Amino acid sequence: MSCVCILTPVVIAAWPAFSAAVMAAASSLGYTLVEATQEAEEFALESKTVNRVDLEVPQSEVVLDTLHRDQRISVSREGVTVTFGRDARGKASLCVSGEGCTEAELRARGEELSRRFVQKYVYQRLMEEMRSRQFVVVEEETCDNHAIRLKVRHWES
Amino acid sequence: MRQREFEITIGPDGSVEVHVNGYKGKSCLEAVKLFEQIVGSVQEQRLTSEYYDPEEPVRNRIEQRSD
Repeated sequence: MSCVCILTPVVIAAWPAFSAAVMAAASSLGYTLVEATQEAEEFALESKTVNRVDLEVPQSEVVLDTLHRDQRISVSREGVTVTFGRDARGKASLCVSGEGCTEAELRARGEELSRRFVQKYVYQRLMEEMRSRQFVVVEEETCDNHAIRLKVRHWES
Repeated sequence: MRQREFEITIGPDGSVEVHVNGYKGKSCLEAVKLFEQIVGSVQEQRLTSEYYDPEEPVRNRIEQRSD
């Protein structure tokens, strides 16, 4: 081994990659896709029993094209709905809401999903880049702590 | 052909640790740059003894053509 480096991820994604990572993260944590209606969102905003927490994904930027402007994805599990979107500054954002949940519970759920989203985004980006460079993934495993381990080889003449 | 190998761990929070194998000398820094472009900023970097080994020699073959 000649060196070891630790990198902090930066998420810069167009809508297709962003939504693919959201869906991969959500399904790995048992969330299912829901149709977020205008009425449901208005109810959540006005209701006194439905708490709501807004979070943002650090070091992120969602690149929009004209086809996907204002698009959002909502996923739900055990009465908690998380809506991923893009805030006014272009960062990836999450709105977590749930009836009868405390703000701390919602924040914890949102942060868990946000971390898993970043992990899935990084995994997809790495796999795509490795393939395009014709590097070969010879080993892949998910550890008990949910870390993903990859062993990648390539040959240089 | 030289074999290069990367052991990549993507943590539960998305942070990435890469062990770079098969490079000698400073050439491993090019591999680090590649991962920096793909993933994000380098937070920490540790060099191992192989880093201080002599650089791999560059082998060129020169052919002379008569035409």
